[in-house]
Amino acid sequence: MEAIAEQKSVYLQDYEAHSAHQDAPEWLARLRQHGIECFEAQGFPGRKVEAWRKTDLTPVLREHFVPASGPGQMGPELLEKVGVLGQVHRLVFVDGWFDPGLSDVDKLPNGLTLAPLSEYGERLPAVIQEALGGFVDTETHPFTALNTAFFRDGAIMHVARGATVEQPVVVVHLLTPEADRRAVYPRTVLVAEEASQVTLIEQFVGADEPFALNCPVTEIVARQGANVDYYKVQEEGAGSAHLGAVHAETFRDATVHIHSLACGAKLARTDIYANLIGPGADVTLNGLYLTTGRQYCDHHTWVNHKAEHGTSRQVFKGVLQGRSETVFDGLVKVFERAQKIDAQQQNRNLLLGKLALAHSNPRLEIHADDVKCSHGSTVGKLDDEALFYLNTRGIGLDEAQGLLTFAFAAEMLKPIRLDRLYQYERQLLLQRLPGAELTGEVL
Amino acid sequence: MALLEIRNLHAKIQGVEILKGINLKIERGETHAIMGPNGSGKSTLAKVLAGDPSYEVTDGEVFFQDRNLLELSPEDRAREGVFLGFQYPVEIPGVSNTYFLKAALNAIRKYRGEQELDAMEFLQLIKERAKSVNLDESLLRRPVNEGFSGGEKKRNEIFQLAVLEPYLAILDETDSGLDIDALRTVAEGVNSLRNEERGFLVITHYQRLLNYIVPDEVHVLLRGRIVKTGGKELAEELEESGYALFEEAAA
Repeated sequence: MEAIAEQKSVYLQDYEAHSAHQDAPEWLARLRQHGIECFEAQGFPGRKVEAWRKTDLTPVLREHFVPASGPGQMGPELLEKVGVLGQVHRLVFVDGWFDPGLSDVDKLPNGLTLAPLSEYGERLPAVIQEALGGFVDTETHPFTALNTAFFRDGAIMHVARGATVEQPVVVVHLLTPEADRRAVYPRTVLVAEEASQVTLIEQFVGADEPFALNCPVTEIVARQGANVDYYKVQEEGAGSAHLGAVHAETFRDATVHIHSLACGAKLARTDIYANLIGPGADVTLNGLYLTTGRQYCDHHTWVNHKAEHGTSRQVFKGVLQGRSETVFDGLVKVFERAQKIDAQQQNRNLLLGKLALAHSNPRLEIHADDVKCSHGSTVGKLDDEALFYLNTRGIGLDEAQGLLTFAFAAEMLKPIRLDRLYQYERQLLLQRLPGAELTGEVL
Repeated sequence: MALLEIRNLHAKIQGVEILKGINLKIERGETHAIMGPNGSGKSTLAKVLAGDPSYEVTDGEVFFQDRNLLELSPEDRAREGVFLGFQYPVEIPGVSNTYFLKAALNAIRKYRGEQELDAMEFLQLIKERAKSVNLDESLLRRPVNEGFSGGEKKRNEIFQLAVLEPYLAILDETDSGLDIDALRTVAEGVNSLRNEERGFLVITHYQRLLNYIVPDEVHVLLRGRIVKTGGKELAEELEESGYALFEEAAA
């Protein structure tokens, strides 16, 4: 208990030292104050908090992560990650600091507003101010609270009513070696107004050296009839901790597709909250996690059907090598008024390492009586018969394992609707297969 | 030198002995049929020859073109030229038939010190072979066996055989579950691949298939032993009288 009490005071001290010489507008100061108060009230979650029971935060708790005080220097291997998705609208943050040189907001189409929060100052539009911290559970999610207290900049996106943004928006978060023992708090807000359409990709990339704490919070608001595709690609360096939250507020007849690929960081967790608050809202959550060595990777999802005629689809797949450990924990909650909804949830895990460990916990909580809900989970090895079949065709064991693993995982890449991103994630997958290297011509 | 020579082969699975001393010799260019009731060990023989690790060989020897087959891994047996057509071909979602075959063919060619085929050569080859066994070209792009009908799966096995060109093809109940039209198509595919170099071991429960794939020799397998060997007329005899005739011989 003492240790935890001490942890609290360290972050509170940081906060106080930080806010003293910060000249924040009043609304922002108030939001941050709310964040630190919420964090102080909760503290870091212990193993007794149900949602955090499996997540061993010891390495994070042992360290005191001071907010990164400036952008660090980058090697070429980090830099080249910036352009991998081709022609896009792009904001780049280095150790949490906006980098105008790497960003590309030159040719924004009508209807799209895209800028770092730091450019707004006092003049933040009301719709953004309302969305920023407006829907997330700052009171109950300690890392969202911490982010709210400490975020220094953010990616702000607004899509006007009826506008279709053709090119994807990409927000790149880079962690340099200088982020060692530093905390970074990225904040992203996307408001898609009525009947608008936009694709947002967040890339989390980092060097292997730093032991950094990255606590991103992404807030998506899809107003009536809006279409939002959101992709998260988390390939941070082998030493870092990534504890993030994604929140999607989905209004009447709006569609939100969320796709998460997680293969980086030593300790990684993404909590996804999807609220279907208007009738006919449609949410898809897809995820693929690829772990090896002693990586820990966790996806928690909360899908809240709060209105009738909603649809939610979730498929998460994991490929575990070495002694890695993963968690999928998903709750689909159907509120009393939410009749005629259709909710599905699947989690499949492929264990390639004898000492790998996959936890799978799909959950349903239904308070309505006219609904369609299903869920399922599997944890298994590669099919011996399939391996033998491939062997009898002359394909060696290594390659057969790679091929079957690829086949298992690649299904999760199919929903990706952008070819550049599909090719990129496919390459990440190919690099992480067991056994012999495949040529990349599969399928 | 025989293409395949099996001497006193014993094998078991999960402690139960299934093969109890098989002796069999196949020369190049010959087609042999193995017939027998359910549970006689037909499929076990096929899988042991292909190297299925779930079976344990407890005694005996198998020589394939003078190589000790039992010492080789399943993939090396395939690379040496042994092909097993599965009774229940395995579905591999997410891997296209084309990619699968290219990986297979190039693994075999590499093992033999031959040049791997480039994409164009390979595509030309599989198109030609698909045609020769009457396989719909659209199946080439589909994931291996996924969503294929029973007939399509069996035809796909024969197609793989046509592409991989083994020296010995073992067909495990390739006729099971096929209607007469599908059976004819499969048999035609097999017949088009018969030549003086290649041997076939056709395993079947029914004589029907042997009307279309006419064997040089027929062996009757009962309780893990070959109890009778004869010409193609033996199959007809079996069809009329059933296996009861041989039960005594096996006992």
